[in-house]
Amino acid sequence: MYAWKCWRETRASFIFLLMLSTVPALLVTLGPGLKERNGWWHFDRSEYTHDPTLMVHLVSGMILTVLLLSPFLSAVFLGATSSGSEIEPGTIEYLWTRPRTRASVTWTHWGVCLAEMAMIAVVPTYLAATILGTLTRNWNMPLLMIAPWIMFIAGVPMLGLTTLMTALRRSAKGGLIYTAAVGSVYLILRQIVTVPLHLNLPTLFAGPLVWLVSNNQPYAAAFPWGSLGRAVFLAAAFPLAAQYLLKRTEV
Amino acid sequence: MNETALMTEDLSKSFGTQAAVSELNLRIQPGAVYGFLGRNGAGKTTTMRMLLGLVRPTKGSARVLGLDPTREMELMRILERVAFVPQRKQLYGWATPAELVRMNKAYFPRWSDDAAARLAQRLEIPMKMTFKKLSIGNQSKVALLLALAQGAEVLILDEPTAGLDPVMVDEILRTLIEDHVSQGRTIFVSSHHLGEVEQICDWVGILEEGRLLLESRLEEIRQEFRLVIASGEGLPTAQSTDVVSATTDGRFRRFVVAREAERFAADLRSQGAAILEISPIGLRELFLHLVRKEDACTPGNVGAKPAPVSSFS
Repeated sequence: MYAWKCWRETRASFIFLLMLSTVPALLVTLGPGLKERNGWWHFDRSEYTHDPTLMVHLVSGMILTVLLLSPFLSAVFLGATSSGSEIEPGTIEYLWTRPRTRASVTWTHWGVCLAEMAMIAVVPTYLAATILGTLTRNWNMPLLMIAPWIMFIAGVPMLGLTTLMTALRRSAKGGLIYTAAVGSVYLILRQIVTVPLHLNLPTLFAGPLVWLVSNNQPYAAAFPWGSLGRAVFLAAAFPLAAQYLLKRTEV
Repeated sequence: MNETALMTEDLSKSFGTQAAVSELNLRIQPGAVYGFLGRNGAGKTTTMRMLLGLVRPTKGSARVLGLDPTREMELMRILERVAFVPQRKQLYGWATPAELVRMNKAYFPRWSDDAAARLAQRLEIPMKMTFKKLSIGNQSKVALLLALAQGAEVLILDEPTAGLDPVMVDEILRTLIEDHVSQGRTIFVSSHHLGEVEQICDWVGILEEGRLLLESRLEEIRQEFRLVIASGEGLPTAQSTDVVSATTDGRFRRFVVAREAERFAADLRSQGAAILEISPIGLRELFLHLVRKEDACTPGNVGAKPAPVSSFS
């Protein structure tokens, strides 16, 4: 039942984020075929069939670009609805006097958000891929096939971080602000360290996402397994820390 | 199993240097209706929260239905059997009472749909309006409905009737008496409305600055407790355990005596004091005597100003 409550609370955000990803993905997919003639818009499919391989390559790149921030946005907005956000408004007294452990509450919310994040990553990408494949009759688009899962993996640590920050700040707004602050401070520090010293540090956990985008370019890079490992580690560590914190929280 | 419904042993909670509850000892038997009284900030809510695992004790221990609320697995068994209405009756603003009922029933095996429907009708709750659009009174009623339909063995109610009109207060009290007191369920209720407490409770405990000043059966207060007003020199600041309060009012001294008021008055007379009045004392008057003092009133020190102490042992 708590899963239903999580779904009910995140439903509006989920639909908004899904639309926010799907609409741009569809626009960039259909964009090349939209032509204006005598003040009227019409769809010209021949743009896709002229050189299908190139079109798939170009449109895939554009789809990945417009969806790049989607996993982070969905992770942050969904993570801010975790149980820590109920402390400030006071509903936590109701929640924590139901016979469910705080750990189960934390992980149920996490699970619901993961499912929603997966949908937000999969639906726009595969919908765009289906349309692109139909229009070009070229179904060879391996990057688009793995893209949602890589976006999903990159988003999960952010979901955990927002869950932790929300528990720490005891409110959704505080969680969002702290997550943004932590992210900003990390990026600034990284720049301060890497730029003057000319270092080439690997990305903390978004490596697979960077690989995905750069791999669409003519040059190819080795898959950043280290970054993937760190993403998996942080994906587990942040919610575990949130669980520990919430277990010790007094209201 | 012959277990106490609620029990605390030297239960204490401090927030920094501020003691919210100090060495509280309660022993509430199953079926008791216990009124937990005190001024704002006396420690009532903190005590209730410790019983429900929302706050961890700094010292001492608590047992609810024989189970320890500081152990997670035992707490889960407590929460299945205990209903709680918090002081701040805040539920999910997006949910209608009907949705809250559906959500809540999934947690409790003894949930009664019949009781929920009956209460919704009796308390005139608009079940299809979202919680955030309900008036404060209706929000309180929803919180009460969720607790009362849960089929709990123990009800912990923190100012349950706050914000309700007198008609609804009466409905709630009647529901508590008909559906819960009559079935031998334990009720632990805090309230500032002493009339309500007198209406339903059989025990009262009065808390002040985290300490339990008095615990007694209401019947005993009605039958045994007396207000003794005396005047004279060198009146006691009370060494006797029978004297629960002593206050000075001009030239007079007011004693609240728990038992054998006549003997106490005779002792005062033998010391040359004049006894002006010996009268029964109501809960409201007793409460005010205990908590409205120039000095803090604590067990063993009834709160009087320092004065020469006569021996009344």
